[in-house]
Amino acid sequence: MIPHVSRPLRAAAVAACALLAGCAQLSPDGGFGQVEQASSTRLGQAPAWNRTPQQTQASSEHVRQLLHDPANSTPRLASADDAVQIALINNPDLQADFAGLGVAEADLVQAGRLPNPGFSFKRSHAGDDLKIERSLSLGLMRLLTLPAASRIEQRRFEQVRLSLASRVLSVAAQTRQAYYQAVAAQQGLQYQKQVADAAEAAHALAAQMARLGNISQLDSAREQFFYGQAQTSLQQARRLAAQHKESLARLLGLAPDFSLPAQLPALPRQLEAVDDIEQQALQQRLDVEAARTELEGLQTSLGLTRATRLVNVLDLGALRTTESGKPVENGYEISLEIPLFDWGEARVAKAEAIYLQGAHKLAAAVLDARAQARLAWRERQDAYTLARRYQDEWLPLRQRIADENVLRYNGMLVSVFILLADAREQAATVNAAIEAQRDFWIADASLQLALGGRPTQGKQP
Amino acid sequence: MSTPDKQRRSFLQGAALAVTAGAVSRAGAAALPEAPLQASPATQPPLHPANGRPYQPVVTLNGWSLPWRMNNGVKEFHLVAEPVVREIAPGMKARLWGYNGQSPGPTIEVVEGDRVRIFVTNKLPEATSVHWHGQRLPNGMDGVSGLTQPAIPPGKTYVYEFTARRAGTFMYHPHADEMVQMAMGMMGFWVTHPKDPGFMRVDRDFVFLMNAYDIAPGASVPKVSTMLDFNLWTWNSRAFPGIDPLVVRQNDRVRIRVGNLTMTNHPLHLHGHEFSVTGTDGGWVPPAARWPEVTTDIAVGQMRAIEFDATEEGDWALHCHKAHHTMNAMGHDLPTMIGVDQSKVLDKITRLIPDYMAMGDKGGSMGEMEMPLPENTLPMMTGRGPYGPIEMGGMFSTVKVRKQLARDDYRDPGWYRAPAGTVARPWNGPAPSAARAPDRDDGKPTLEVVKPGMQGGHQGHH
Ligand SMILES: [Cu+2]
Repeated sequence: MIPHVSRPLRAAAVAACALLAGCAQLSPDGGFGQVEQASSTRLGQAPAWNRTPQQTQASSEHVRQLLHDPANSTPRLASADDAVQIALINNPDLQADFAGLGVAEADLVQAGRLPNPGFSFKRSHAGDDLKIERSLSLGLMRLLTLPAASRIEQRRFEQVRLSLASRVLSVAAQTRQAYYQAVAAQQGLQYQKQVADAAEAAHALAAQMARLGNISQLDSAREQFFYGQAQTSLQQARRLAAQHKESLARLLGLAPDFSLPAQLPALPRQLEAVDDIEQQALQQRLDVEAARTELEGLQTSLGLTRATRLVNVLDLGALRTTESGKPVENGYEISLEIPLFDWGEARVAKAEAIYLQGAHKLAAAVLDARAQARLAWRERQDAYTLARRYQDEWLPLRQRIADENVLRYNGMLVSVFILLADAREQAATVNAAIEAQRDFWIADASLQLALGGRPTQGKQP
Repeated sequence: MSTPDKQRRSFLQGAALAVTAGAVSRAGAAALPEAPLQASPATQPPLHPANGRPYQPVVTLNGWSLPWRMNNGVKEFHLVAEPVVREIAPGMKARLWGYNGQSPGPTIEVVEGDRVRIFVTNKLPEATSVHWHGQRLPNGMDGVSGLTQPAIPPGKTYVYEFTARRAGTFMYHPHADEMVQMAMGMMGFWVTHPKDPGFMRVDRDFVFLMNAYDIAPGASVPKVSTMLDFNLWTWNSRAFPGIDPLVVRQNDRVRIRVGNLTMTNHPLHLHGHEFSVTGTDGGWVPPAARWPEVTTDIAVGQMRAIEFDATEEGDWALHCHKAHHTMNAMGHDLPTMIGVDQSKVLDKITRLIPDYMAMGDKGGSMGEMEMPLPENTLPMMTGRGPYGPIEMGGMFSTVKVRKQLARDDYRDPGWYRAPAGTVARPWNGPAPSAARAPDRDDGKPTLEVVKPGMQGGHQGHH
């Protein structure tokens, strides 16, 4: 894992770096093209950075199109893919992060520019004493450290781009999951309505029968109690559906005034066999790529440190504060020293240690990626098995119980109250089946994320 | 009802099927009499004695009598205790335990003074015994396992031998794990005819056992742990409309002998005629001690013989007077729906239960409804008569009295055709004014109810 350290660059490198760095220009897309590229290959969907009113307008129009339902006047979200597409072009947090890319690129370009010569004029009073200082200055320090700073900013920009692409994937996964949650909650609400209907019918019937003297007040009160319970459950289901829809709408950057499909997408007939998921994860995952980039950077720093010894370039790892409770701070510091007492041996050792640290971090990232891919794979497999069992065994069995109960009712062997109670239980099983189906799709989205965003099941419903 | 020819065929078939399993050794089997099988649930014609003492045979309702062989003056029968499938009524079959292919087992008919030897082969998965209910016999032949004999282990054949000392009406059933074995249908009828065939001679002599099963809708094996809450009330393990009619010729002297092996009493009620109870478990009732009845209660474990002259032509109901026993399986925990208007909730209910149909709001009548039921389940009350649904099930049949019938003809003559003007008919004239009770005299004091309360209860306390 640890590549051999390249031969030290000689002092001439400083000049070469300066030449290279001098080329840094602000790009027309602010570096967004690469983010877009990463998203497209991994998600099959491209984000949009709404920088100008025209771009904002185009995105709004795109959102409007995605929500357009020819059969209906109200906006309708048709699929998880549409939800992801909307989030990628409309999620405000993501837009804020995209703007961060511009900041990073500006930093990069700034770092590559030679400082302007400057004048300063200072006029001060000390009592009656007037002091005037004039100076002409040129940032010698900047000039000397420019090549190193430029390389570091280049890498930092790379990191920002990677983390941004990673954010895009994570927002996509979050959106997908929120979509399944919202559809499932809404579907559950429909069934809860049926349960409440059954309870209401039983209650109405029982109340009438108690009034006529056909059943006792006790039995009537029991049915009323069930009715009350069903009403409470319905209210909870309604709240849950609203919460999940709000979460989804927030990710889409919209108000929740759009409709959702009545049902979750059907389960795939069978899960495709993939035998190299860990390999896929290593190739696709951006965190692994980020660790790799970081290591490459550290390698460069190490080479630089060895070459110059006097230019103290310790970036990232050196400045990565690990104070608990505070966000990790990335950055770099460059200082130039006059070698009177210290000839830099310790600095080289430190750079080597930091490089080693980076190498281990990469190893850890690889280990993590493999483990996450395996786990997510297994969890999706389990979720699939469970959802299938509900669909293929338990729901049909519930239906058979219901059918048999009706036959018994026909033979006057059981009462209508047994039928209604069974309908309530049936709805509970249907709800559990919906949840199992939802959990499969959520696990599927998690697996996509664990594999670096690559769709695992073809086009996603 | 099958012809004697058919009956012989089934006996031959029975002989071929009998004692085939390795339960009985070959040498033993050679010495054993045939164990005929009966496959049909229909009432078989009376079995006239081909040898031995003469007697007037009985007709077993939806059953048959067991043939025998004479062996040095001894009447030899062979009963095989085994699992059987019994059709309770068309559309429902029960997996029971019985004898020789049927539950109840075949009726055994002997004559007072006969030496009787009965081989009993046990093809059940557990030990059994046969108790000859009501008979005078040597104690060791009484068939109480553990008390008077070791139980007959599965696969073994035991032999009982005694003299039928007293003429009368008897039963046989296990006295080993009897709660289970009787709940599974192990029982049979026994008639000891009087030595003098002219003694209390009748023209038609019907026999059946009352029994009850608890078979869950859609199931076929009885719940053997049920104590009282049975759902199928049967005669010879048949429920109406599966019970054959009792066909008699007008002015025949008719005897009906009934044994009760259920867990409750049954008031047996006959329409159109008075009868006398002429026999009990203890023997014949002296003519001076009889009294006329139209209903006689048959207690648990009892036998009754009733007799009457079938003077009145027609189809006369014969049934247990416990209304719950004249219907088939029905839920016992159903709320009454009479007067309940379901129209307002029907919509909600059918949205959840698409096949739902409101029932019972006008009563329990199901006669005209035909709805799918759990498989192997009898509808509650489905017998149909010439004028519509009879709305009966369970312990119900008819005594069909007809003019022109041959002596031994027991074939169902069809429904009675009442002479014109003798059937209840709709009244189309003006409604007669109803008689009214006189107005109440308000001078009388009204009844006051005083509930026991605290008043004065604490007078003595300080
Ligand atoms: Cu009864």
